[in-house]
Amino acid sequence: MNWKRTALAGGGYPFAALSVAVAAAVLLPFRTVLPDPMVMLLFVPVIIGVARVAGARASATASLLAFFAIDLLFVPPYYRLSVARPSDWVGLLVFLIVAMISSQQAAQLRTRERAAVRRQDELALLNRLSFRIASEGSASAVADFIVAQVTEVLGARRAALYVGAPAASTPPRCLAEAGLLRPSIREGALVNWVLLTSKAIGMPPARGIPYDQRIVSVGATEALPGVSTDGVFVPLQTSTSLEGVLFIEPAEAGGLTADDGRLLAAVSNLAAASLERQRLEADAAHAEALREADRLKSTLVSSVSHELKTPLAAATARVTGLVEEGESCDAARVREELVAVAEDLSRLNDSIGDLLDLSRLESDAWQPRFEPHDVRDILGTVLSRLPAAQRDRIHFDLSEELPEVLADHAQLARALSNLVENALVYSPADGEVTVGARPNGDTVSLWVEDAGPGVPDAEKVRVFDKFYRGAASAGVPSGTGLGLAITREIVRTHDGTLKVEDAEPQGARFALTIPIAHEETQ
Amino acid sequence: MSPEGAPERKQRVLVIDDEEQIRRALKSVLSARHYEVDLAETAERGLELTAEHTPDIIVLDLSLPDMSGLEACKRLREWFRGPILILSVRNADDDKIAALDLGADDYLTKPFSTGELLARLRALLRRTQGVDSSATEIRTGDLCVDFAKRLVTVKGEPVHLTRIEFDILAQLARNAGRVVTSRMLLDTVWGPEYVGDTQTLRVHVSHVRRKIESPGDVSRYILTEPGVGFRFVELDNE
Repeated sequence: MNWKRTALAGGGYPFAALSVAVAAAVLLPFRTVLPDPMVMLLFVPVIIGVARVAGARASATASLLAFFAIDLLFVPPYYRLSVARPSDWVGLLVFLIVAMISSQQAAQLRTRERAAVRRQDELALLNRLSFRIASEGSASAVADFIVAQVTEVLGARRAALYVGAPAASTPPRCLAEAGLLRPSIREGALVNWVLLTSKAIGMPPARGIPYDQRIVSVGATEALPGVSTDGVFVPLQTSTSLEGVLFIEPAEAGGLTADDGRLLAAVSNLAAASLERQRLEADAAHAEALREADRLKSTLVSSVSHELKTPLAAATARVTGLVEEGESCDAARVREELVAVAEDLSRLNDSIGDLLDLSRLESDAWQPRFEPHDVRDILGTVLSRLPAAQRDRIHFDLSEELPEVLADHAQLARALSNLVENALVYSPADGEVTVGARPNGDTVSLWVEDAGPGVPDAEKVRVFDKFYRGAASAGVPSGTGLGLAITREIVRTHDGTLKVEDAEPQGARFALTIPIAHEETQ
Repeated sequence: MSPEGAPERKQRVLVIDDEEQIRRALKSVLSARHYEVDLAETAERGLELTAEHTPDIIVLDLSLPDMSGLEACKRLREWFRGPILILSVRNADDDKIAALDLGADDYLTKPFSTGELLARLRALLRRTQGVDSSATEIRTGDLCVDFAKRLVTVKGEPVHLTRIEFDILAQLARNAGRVVTSRMLLDTVWGPEYVGDTQTLRVHVSHVRRKIESPGDVSRYILTEPGVGFRFVELDNE
């Protein structure tokens, strides 16, 4: 490629002259033995070679030079323009015509070949781009790829892709850049102008593009008076929106060819389409997240208001009922009602506690304080919080040797209390609940097993979700539906695992593991 | 447990709480149990009433309008030697511990049941009334701690405890039903000049547990109050 570039220097004329000179020098020693037509014939391939390498104009020049060289050096009398025989003029003229025609043919062929290669390159680039754009996940990855490709294919010294809202007073955001140059100060200003007007700056005149698809292009001075630039700014325009600006600083002053312009327009269209798709997807994902948050919030509000209001309403009804009845009701009834009110209030208190704890866990406001703890100590706390009448329903199945776990005492006790209370609620009345613990590698396995209806396979994952209440929960005293969510959240912060299995012969078995405390952490 | 009903002489409780509903509820609950009840809605008023009547026990809410609960605790302790029971809201651990270190004796988290409140009051008053502090032994469940003979038995079988282990157990058992902070334990067992750490204490407590609790069972006598200390629980002997 290098010698070709040298050959093309100065429009290819020096190369044409040199080629003719060399051919003449080579043939000169043989001019006495070679007949003139043979000399002419030998010049033709040289001229065609020039046409192939340097194009039509250089080869026309070569033809003329060869004409004179043959006249001066090979057709007697030597070193004079005149010829000995008039028929020699005919021969020379025929040579000139043949040389001209064949060189022009060759040059045309060269142009077509180059155009074909160019098309191929363009197609390959567009192919790569569209493939990449379809598979790339983020706008900036697509932008990186586009500027890298454009820099390489167009041999640009700098390429950059800007995005941003038009009419913004702030500098546009550069999504990707490539090449050797640093951005100039006027680059940002011109990008802003393009974002505002949707017009290109410095695009070569379009050829071979339908009129309605052409990008309106102006000179830099027209955009910002007094500014001149070799750079090209292309708006990335889809049918509905302006997504950004592609900037290119070409390798050579004088800008881009019409072919380059066509390629640039095609790339810009692809880039715009891709950026639009990325933007719409991001918008959709954002909207979806908002909807999900809204949905959760309204679930929360309705569940919360239900869970808080129900016990409050029940307690209010009982107490106001007693007040209404006045002196007439006997002490036994008053006592019975008050016991029920105490239960309602305790449920209300549990609900408020659950809500506060879960929101503190989810917002990381309840930071665990990890210390080594004996599982039996934590289970003792769990047991002490149960009403005395329920304690005898718990059966413990604990290994005699249990390593200490690394846990936050209050949090782990809370997590286990939820499981134990759940098990007591779902077990048949007076049914036994088993709480077990045994060492298990680097963890301690804990489980809480009841003889209730169990958790159907379809609910085994969702049962830990907020507000989820399984089919079996019909008929049991309602809770907030937050207990298991709190337990899951706590086990997560403890780097533990939590799952629900089927117990034998029936019932649910909630199993968790908590990492043990190693010596060095003690 | 002592049966519900009248103590030998009427004991005076001072309730310092800025919430009127709580004051009214406590007044009615405690009066019904034959306590004499004084009410104060601010810390200043509480200090005045303390000077006037010298209550047997003070119930102090930690969030007061005119001064921080900790400040109130400190000022009360300047003249008042009886037990102080702190009322705190959920999850205000640091305040709770600071108050205990400033001389408060135990805490209750709002909301609490009347049963819990009365149990705490009784446990705290027992100590100052001299009802239990002179006791030479404590029996609960299978456990018996004889303070005078420094002897511990489980199901009648003597259990060997080291000196430190016995001191810890004795200190906890003497304060049965009350929280004992880690600092209090360190001070009484090792002496105030000892700069002990809670890790060491924890290890000793776990040794005590291993010796007095039955194997394969959960801890029943000594409960951990996370971040605060330990509490000895008397099992209901039914």
